[in-house]
Amino acid sequence: MCDAVAIPRHRLPLDLIERQSLRRRIHERGGEPELQFHYRDRNPRLPVQRDGRLQIVRWGNGRGQSRSLPRTGWTWLETVESGGWQEIGGLPVEIPATLVWDRGVWYAVRQGVRGLLVPDERGAAVVYVICEPASSYYRVMTRSNRMPVLIEERI
Amino acid sequence: MTISAAVGHLDADCFYVSAERVRNPFLVGKPVGVLGNQGACVIAKSYEMKAAGVGTGTPIWDALEKCPDGIYVKRDFRWYEVLSRRMFDVVREFSPHVEYYSIDEFFFDAVPLPGKTLSETATAMRDRIRAEVGVPVTVGIARSRTLAKLISDAAKPFGASAVLDRSSETELLASRPVTEITGIAGRRARRLQPWGIQTCLDLAQADRKLVRELLTASGEALWWELNGEPVAPIHRNRPLHKTLSRGGSFGGSTSNPVVLHAWLVRNLERLIEELHYHELLPGRLALYLVYRDGRSGGGQVRLTVPTDRFDLLLDAARPCLREAWIPRAEATHMHLIADDLNRCRDRPLSLFDDPDHSEKATAVARLKSEINARHGRFALRSGATLPLANVYRDDANAYDICDIRGKSCF
Repeated sequence: MCDAVAIPRHRLPLDLIERQSLRRRIHERGGEPELQFHYRDRNPRLPVQRDGRLQIVRWGNGRGQSRSLPRTGWTWLETVESGGWQEIGGLPVEIPATLVWDRGVWYAVRQGVRGLLVPDERGAAVVYVICEPASSYYRVMTRSNRMPVLIEERI
Repeated sequence: MTISAAVGHLDADCFYVSAERVRNPFLVGKPVGVLGNQGACVIAKSYEMKAAGVGTGTPIWDALEKCPDGIYVKRDFRWYEVLSRRMFDVVREFSPHVEYYSIDEFFFDAVPLPGKTLSETATAMRDRIRAEVGVPVTVGIARSRTLAKLISDAAKPFGASAVLDRSSETELLASRPVTEITGIAGRRARRLQPWGIQTCLDLAQADRKLVRELLTASGEALWWELNGEPVAPIHRNRPLHKTLSRGGSFGGSTSNPVVLHAWLVRNLERLIEELHYHELLPGRLALYLVYRDGRSGGGQVRLTVPTDRFDLLLDAARPCLREAWIPRAEATHMHLIADDLNRCRDRPLSLFDDPDHSEKATAVARLKSEINARHGRFALRSGATLPLANVYRDDANAYDICDIRGKSCF
């Protein structure tokens, strides 16, 4: 699936890092540091490109903050395409990512992951990662049956 | 084909990883592993990942334990070839004779740049490739191919060195185990052991006749090369193929005869593409299956008449598959090999071939090739490959390392 994403630190403006208290998400494994966004984080967030602007929004509804949204962080591409989110007013967005983490495997992606931005009952933006059934390559690589829908790329 | 006074060897440093870093600089300085055709094994690793104990061929699940911070990338041979050809073009600016040995290794006649030594020329070539292509490489120059390769191996990473005097050669040869010589591994190394031949210098100083006795004529050629007498020339064009083959891992295992037949057809279609490209006709076809439990099976057939026709080759290959097949055993790899290759222009006529049928089969083959050239490889293919829909859905499976042509290595 997609349990976390990472982007190079230079992609996020410094004021956004400070305003959103993202410093604790900085991770180093050599070369340029990155910011990691984990679903299992106590405060799950994802970067989202919306109207040409980079924003940090809540990732899914795993902690049940909303009573109306599904308690998960992912949605099937099929559900999106069949209009399953139409009533809530889901908006397709791009989640910029250089790395994706799935079942312990960090893998590189070229542009990022597709997401769906929806409002909760208080009007706060929540993003769900869009998934599809895993390709056989992806299944071997991560042992996962679901994979994120990537931007202009398929693994 | 030339033999010259100084031979150069250029070897890209962890090439697949370096190629990924060219288009994604974020990966620089990080532990990176490129995964093979099925996503199961590391086929190339960065020095950072190697330092964590991950080797080429390590399954991803073992690699994750050794290097949890590792980043994995799906291989992309189209991109690697683009960079490889760019590197080749740069080397050609330095040398009139360059051999495209493999995707990341070239041999060349080493000619000093005006006013520069060979060592400075090696450095200039390395730096130009880094600047123009973005890939770090190591360049070694010596009196023979074998010495040049040993020098570049010793100078890695991002090295440049020319070793042409005997005392420096001796020093180098003494420091390298004999197994570092391409062509000496396993059984051949064990044959040398009782004679105390452990380093490259031991081999260079051994009796030539003994080396020939132990390692045949190819071993003697290495002996000459180690002693600075070049016997292996630079091939500007790839020597003619003696065999052509297609196949490899299934990315899993199967005992289903329908799926095995589908793999046979896929491998045959790929093999025929290659035969067409080289304008060759096989006189013999062989098929091998490797099973998960370590067993293997094979079958081969001599063709009545050398041919590149799909229907005739498939008719010939099916009995080979039956012979290689072990019922209920899980097969993991298939190899389809064409040999006894003949030039197309020498195509013999068969007494038993119906001219009408032959004309139709040729027309279908032409149409298939035209459609695939226009709409993409495998856009039109045999219906027998339908059980492999997943394989064809992954675009990366349409271009493999063996599809990169002109390499003299294999």
